[in-house]
Amino acid sequence: MSSLEQLKQTFFDECSEALQQIELGLSDIRADTGTEETINAVFRSVHSVKGGAGIFGFEGLVKFAHIFETVLDAMRSGKLAAAQDIVDTLLRANDVLTDLIAMSRSGESIPSDFGADCRTALEQILKSNAGGQPEDDNEPAPAEFEGLDFVPVRAEQFDGSDGGEAEREYRILFRPKPELLKNANEPLFILRELRKLGTLDLVVEADRLPPLSELEPDRPYLGWVGALRTTADKKQIEEVFEFVTGDCELEITAVDTDAGAGDGDPRADAVGAAGAAAMEPAPAAEAEVLQPTPPQAATNAGADTNGAVPLSPAPAPKSTAAAATTTRVELEKIDRVVNMVGELVIAQAMLGQVVHSLPEHLSGRLVQVLDEVVHHTRELKDSVMSMRAQQVNAVFQRMPRLVRELGAKTGKKVRLEISGENTEVDRSIIEHLGDPLTHIIRNSIDHGIESPADRITAGKSEEGTIRLSAEHRGGRIVIEIRDDGAGINSERVLTKARERRLVSADAVLNDDEINNLIFLPGFSTAETVSDISGRGVGMDVVRRNIQEVGGRISLKSERGRGMTIQLALPLTLAVMDGMVIRVGQETYVMPMSAIVECLRPPGSDIHNLIGTPGMLKLRGNLVPLVQLRDLLDIGSSASSSEERVVIISDAGEGTRFGIVVDELCGHQQVVVKSIEASYGSVPGIAGATILGNGRVAFILDVEKLSDIASSQNIEAGVARLAKAEPKAATAAA
Amino acid sequence: MPIAAVLKVLVVDDQNSVRQMTRMTLEQIGIRHVHEAENGRDAMETAALQPLDLIISDYNMPEMDGLALLRAVRGHPAARKVPFILLTGRGDRELVVKAAQAGANNYLIKPFTPEVLRQKIEQVMGKLS
Repeated sequence: MSSLEQLKQTFFDECSEALQQIELGLSDIRADTGTEETINAVFRSVHSVKGGAGIFGFEGLVKFAHIFETVLDAMRSGKLAAAQDIVDTLLRANDVLTDLIAMSRSGESIPSDFGADCRTALEQILKSNAGGQPEDDNEPAPAEFEGLDFVPVRAEQFDGSDGGEAEREYRILFRPKPELLKNANEPLFILRELRKLGTLDLVVEADRLPPLSELEPDRPYLGWVGALRTTADKKQIEEVFEFVTGDCELEITAVDTDAGAGDGDPRADAVGAAGAAAMEPAPAAEAEVLQPTPPQAATNAGADTNGAVPLSPAPAPKSTAAAATTTRVELEKIDRVVNMVGELVIAQAMLGQVVHSLPEHLSGRLVQVLDEVVHHTRELKDSVMSMRAQQVNAVFQRMPRLVRELGAKTGKKVRLEISGENTEVDRSIIEHLGDPLTHIIRNSIDHGIESPADRITAGKSEEGTIRLSAEHRGGRIVIEIRDDGAGINSERVLTKARERRLVSADAVLNDDEINNLIFLPGFSTAETVSDISGRGVGMDVVRRNIQEVGGRISLKSERGRGMTIQLALPLTLAVMDGMVIRVGQETYVMPMSAIVECLRPPGSDIHNLIGTPGMLKLRGNLVPLVQLRDLLDIGSSASSSEERVVIISDAGEGTRFGIVVDELCGHQQVVVKSIEASYGSVPGIAGATILGNGRVAFILDVEKLSDIASSQNIEAGVARLAKAEPKAATAAA
Repeated sequence: MPIAAVLKVLVVDDQNSVRQMTRMTLEQIGIRHVHEAENGRDAMETAALQPLDLIISDYNMPEMDGLALLRAVRGHPAARKVPFILLTGRGDRELVVKAAQAGANNYLIKPFTPEVLRQKIEQVMGKLS
């Protein structure tokens, strides 16, 4: 890739950030939660897009960004009020801008009338509200502003005396001692620093320089005396020598050049320090901005001079502060570090096993050191993972547009409220979030939120609300999509499920169980199949997507009040919480996320049905059992049936089953290694890991295991809910 | 006559792509020592740490904008004589007037060609060789 191409990519990456800022900012303004800085930030973002687009020659993009920016400028300068309809147009403009950027990025030619409606709307706003037209921006940039009275200032004429600060002269004596060189300081650098403060006139004292034959190269023989004319105060001069005080002879004395200023006597020290502030002639109007102040202070100072008061006491600049101190690193490099840390975790676990197997008199001190190592490895792992983490905003930011467009299409009024968008999660998880989230929100708008008329009849506000939130909870990220729509109509769901023979006609289900039926393959209750959702791709796909990354989906619905869908996902895919289990001589790891509970049931609770591996009577319900030993074809198991442990697992589809194993060996964090990459996909096995004892253990794919088990069981006559007749499934699709 | 190859220039812009593009354009006219800063605050730190021959700064930046940077530079004992060229958009006429008052040596309208860049720098520094 040429460097120009690379720069273009950088530009487009910046555009994505800018678009996000614009979207967030405009949403804040629309919800009236913005501050004065919000509109400025939005303006700046559009301006940046325009500036970059100009430089890289994306004319269509420049044109549109220009008019967008002009409207924002009018709003920022107070000429244009942030009325709802105007902000809505601006949001639409952001959508157009997003498309234009995408087209520019992919190299598509932009149709000349693309976004013409929106452009006209923006022009209309300018014409009727701000009383002006944007200047035409089609000409190439001029070198000068025509008719502007600006004379470039030559550097040498430019004496810099506009600050009006008086120069003072200091006498400097600087004789490095041998320690100075030993401490790796370089007198030359110090002198160069000194010269930056003003006019430096130094004479070398070479009298201590020995004959060449006696010269030791690591001893400083030279000293310097001279004068420094500077506006800097004594403290600033002393700062230059900050790292060598004690390692040199140093005298800095103010020389009395003007009457009344300084005195050159021993009191000069005191004057230098205490008088420093007083001697700075503060150019009154600029005093605050002159010093590089922290951003907060600078912003406030700026706001004050404009005579405006910030809306809230401390408006934290949300994402601007975060964006300012980042650096771009290739993903591949981070992935490599993640892998190496994975190896380290394994090696450390192995070391742990070795150490703990030593006799105590040998292991005592080792254990202590090992604890340190364990501690640091964990921190290292966490920080590396956090490096690869991304804010869920990467996905959330796509949703406002979706909601807007679907709202317009269905004629429903929907407001989207987003919170927790800064919650971080590994990017591998982020990649798996987009589709499910889009689908759930589509569903909410299509089937959940009622039409404005229906809402009013139901005594609700005309506008429906969807709340999208994310938070960390118990080592997972929990994403919640809550709407205040009609909720699930349980009777209709049950009727549909019976029609499609997804449940038997006489099954008695509670509301929760009924609601969960919508996760069954081929289920769709929409009366008419719209082009928004309900085209065969149902909630079952959503659930499968979430489960594929070790997540869980749950649903709560309140008839007439709305519905909440909760996604709980692991924070990363590279490291996972696992339960180490033993069957016969084999060791496996089961993802903790798939385990509901573990128990050792008395033999009387296990009922042997002919042709099945048995059913467990658990709190009044019968749970089908799976013999891992048989399923994976492992030789005879050593333990008696009394000692066996049953792991109750949630295989999805609302059903639970028990996996019979010989022993639980413990809970441990494991590094997931793909076996697909080097071997191939094995049904029932999700991956592999290396345990502390150095042995490789397979990680079980619990959902797949349940599929395998049930297909074996079907022959034995155990009907399962999930296996709907193919005919019914096609009909639903 | 300043020698382009030894000039130390600080480019300030919050957009990495624009900084890189400016750097490339500077390189095209023979200027090879280019420092970068992504806002006024970082720029001030750089300017205070080393002698610079020229600062080329964008106006629109979070943290500390171009004008605030210019004022800070002009108020800094070590950096106050460093020539300053403000990058502007084509609509920023009034900004240039403000910049002139604050002590800018020149302005440069984005996007610019290497020729215009050279012309603007030479107006300030004298003919480059």
